[in-house]
Amino acid sequence: MRWLIHLFPLPALVIYTLFVVYPIFSAFLYSLYDWNGIKRGVFVGLQNFITLFTVEPFNEMFWNAFRHNVFYFVIEMIVQNGIAFGLAFLIYRKIRGSGFLKIAYFMPRLLSVIVIGFLWKLILNPNYGALNTILAKIGLGEWARPWLGDPDTALLAIILINCWFGIGFAMLIFLAGLQSIPEDLIEAARLDGATGWRMLWKMILPLCMPAITIMTIFTFIQAFEAFELVYAMQGSMGEPFYSTDTLAVYFYRMAFSSGAGDVTLGLGSALAVVLFFIVGSVSALSLYLMRKREVQH
Amino acid sequence: MKQFRFRYVASIVLAAVMVVTGCSGGGTETQSGGGQGGGQQVTLSMHSWRVEDTEGYKAIIKAFEADNPNIKIDFKPFKATEYNTILNTALQSDSGPDILQLRPYAPGITLAEAGHLEPLDNVPGLSTIPKDVLAAATGKDGKVYGVPLSLNSTQFYYNKKIFEQNGLQAPKSWDELIATAKTLKEKGIVPISFGAKEGWLLSLSHGVIAPASYSGTDYLDKLLKGESDLKSAEFLQSVQRMQELIPYFPENYVGLELNDMRTLFATEKAAMFINGSFELEGIKKLNPDLPLDFFPMPTDDGKQVLTTWVDGSYAVNAKSKHKAEALKFMEFMATKKFGELFANQFKRISAVPGVSTDDPLVNKMAELSQSSATPYLMVVNFAEGKPTTKQTLENALQGMYLGKLTPEQVVEEVQKSAATWFPPFKK
Repeated sequence: MRWLIHLFPLPALVIYTLFVVYPIFSAFLYSLYDWNGIKRGVFVGLQNFITLFTVEPFNEMFWNAFRHNVFYFVIEMIVQNGIAFGLAFLIYRKIRGSGFLKIAYFMPRLLSVIVIGFLWKLILNPNYGALNTILAKIGLGEWARPWLGDPDTALLAIILINCWFGIGFAMLIFLAGLQSIPEDLIEAARLDGATGWRMLWKMILPLCMPAITIMTIFTFIQAFEAFELVYAMQGSMGEPFYSTDTLAVYFYRMAFSSGAGDVTLGLGSALAVVLFFIVGSVSALSLYLMRKREVQH
Repeated sequence: MKQFRFRYVASIVLAAVMVVTGCSGGGTETQSGGGQGGGQQVTLSMHSWRVEDTEGYKAIIKAFEADNPNIKIDFKPFKATEYNTILNTALQSDSGPDILQLRPYAPGITLAEAGHLEPLDNVPGLSTIPKDVLAAATGKDGKVYGVPLSLNSTQFYYNKKIFEQNGLQAPKSWDELIATAKTLKEKGIVPISFGAKEGWLLSLSHGVIAPASYSGTDYLDKLLKGESDLKSAEFLQSVQRMQELIPYFPENYVGLELNDMRTLFATEKAAMFINGSFELEGIKKLNPDLPLDFFPMPTDDGKQVLTTWVDGSYAVNAKSKHKAEALKFMEFMATKKFGELFANQFKRISAVPGVSTDDPLVNKMAELSQSSATPYLMVVNFAEGKPTTKQTLENALQGMYLGKLTPEQVVEEVQKSAATWFPPFKK
C-alpha cells in the first residue's frame, strides 16, 4: 500500500494546475488575439505586443507605469528595508522592551490593505484630514496640501504607506537572518578586535546575505506587482493624471475596466505576459547573482 | 513566492471561473404550473447591475406578475463593476439570463453586434419613446435592442437659502453665473463644491458647462458629421470655461472627491454643486432639510439646457428559451404604468414620456429633459476608443487643473483620441 503515498499530492497538484499553470498558458494564448472581452476576435499574432510598445498612448502609459514601479522598488528598498533592518538590529541587540517593539512594528501588517487605504485616505484628506490639521496646528500650515490629489506627492505618499505596512514583515525576515548567525563567529570577531561599524559591515551584513537576498527579491516582486493599495486609494485610473499608475493597475484597467466599452483583454494579457517576464527573469537573475555573494558558515 | 508572481495572470482565470457563477445564476427552468390544464408557468431570469434596486424591483415585478399570472420573474443583481464580465461569459457559454440590463450606447451595442440580443422593433409602446432616447440601445443596423429605462440629467444644484440670503437668483447667462460665484466668494461662501480627484466627475461637469459654448444643435450636427472637430472655437471655449471657474472652487479642490464635494454642499458650506439626477437621493439623505433646487445651464442665447443621457436599458437574450414571455415584459417596460412605478420607486426620470412622480425636483428634471435637453456628448457620442475619448478628456482636464496642460493642449489630446476611431474624423 506504500504506492498510495503518491496520490496524496494529487489534490494540490490539480488545484495548482487549474489555478496557476492553466491561467499562465491561457494568458499567453489570449495575448495573441484581438479580444474585447465579449467575443474572442481574430488571431493577431504578436500585434498586441507591438501595439503595447509602439502605439500611442499605450507605449507612453507603459513606460510611465514602468517608471513608477521602479520608483516604488527604490523607495521601498531604502525606506522600508532600511528602517526594517535597523529595527531588527535593535531588537537583535536586545534593547529594553524588544518583545513589545517586535509586536508593535508588526501591527500594521494585521490590517487589511483596503482598511489601510481607507484609513490613510482619511488622514490625508485635504479638508479635514489629520495630517493637514496637525501641520496647521504646529505652524507649518503652508506645508498642507492635497497629498493624494497632487501628482507630485500622490505616488510617494502611497509608497510610504506601503513601506509603513511592510516594515513589520521585512523586520521579521531580517531578525530571523540575524538570529541565525552563530554566536561563536561574532564572539571570535570581537576577540579579533572588530567593533561597531566594522562588525556590522564585515561580519553581520555578509552573514545576513540570505535574508537580504530574499527580502530584495520579495520587495522587487511586490513593487512590480503593486496594485491593491493604489487601487484602494486611487481607483483603476491611476489618478491624478496617471501619476500613480503602475503596470498592474494599467493591466487591470485594460483587461477588466469598469463597464465602459474599452476592455482590451488581448492587449491586457500581452501586458500580463510582459510583466510575468520582467518579474520572473529579474527575480531569477538576482537570485543567481546574490547567491554567489552569500557567505557560507 | 511563486503565487505572487502569478497573481495577475491568475486574475484572468477568475473571469473564467465566473462562467461557473454565471451558469448557476442564469439557469432558466420551466416549471409546470400548479393548476392542471392552465397555461405553463414560466420563470424568467433577469440580470442587473443595480444591487441597490432589489427592493424596488420587487414591487415592480409584483405588478407585472399580477397581470401575467403564468410568468414569474427572478430578479438577480450583480456588483456593478463585475456585471459586464459575468454577463459576457454567461452569454458566450449560452447560459445567459432571459432578460438582461444593457449598458447604454457603445458598450451595450457591442453585445447586439456579437449576436446576443433579440431585436425589439415590434414591441408596442417603443414608438412612444423619443428616437434620441432609443439611440442608446440602437445597433448600427438600425434595429432597437433595448427598452430604455431612465434618463440621467446633470445640472447645477443650488442652495435656495444661501442664494436668497445674498439676494441672488439662478443665473441666466455665463456672465451672470460668474457674477453670482464672485458675490458668494466675497461673502466667504464656497461658490461651487467641486473636486478634481475623480476623472469621471470632470467629464460630467464639462458635460454641463460645455453646451453653453455651443448653444443650439447646429454645432453638434456639424461636429457629428465631421464638418467641425473638437479643436473648434466652441469646444475650446467650453474647456476654457472649466478653467475660468477655478477661483470659485474650494481650497485644495484637486484632492477632493465626490464624498467631500457632496458633504460640502449638504452641510451648506458651498452654494452650488454640479452633479447628476442620481445624486438627488444621496444629498437628501445627508441633509433632509437642505433647501435644494437646481438650474439647468444657461446658454449665451438666453436659453437653458439640461444635459441628459440614457442610463441603461433592458434587452432580451437572443438564445432565451422563453422569448415570447420575455418580450411581454419588454412590452410592460415601455408602458406608462411601468414608468410611474419606476420613477416613484427610485426617484429617477423615467424614459417613458409624460411620467410624473411625487418629487417636484424629479418632475422638473423630467419636464426639462423633454423640452430643453442636450446630449451628454462624451457618453452618447465619444465613449469609444482605447482608452475612450471620454477618459482622455477626463485625464486631460485633470492635467489642466494641475497646471500641466493648457486648454489648447486639452482639446488637442481629445481630438487626437477621437481621430483614432470616430469615423467622421478618420478620413
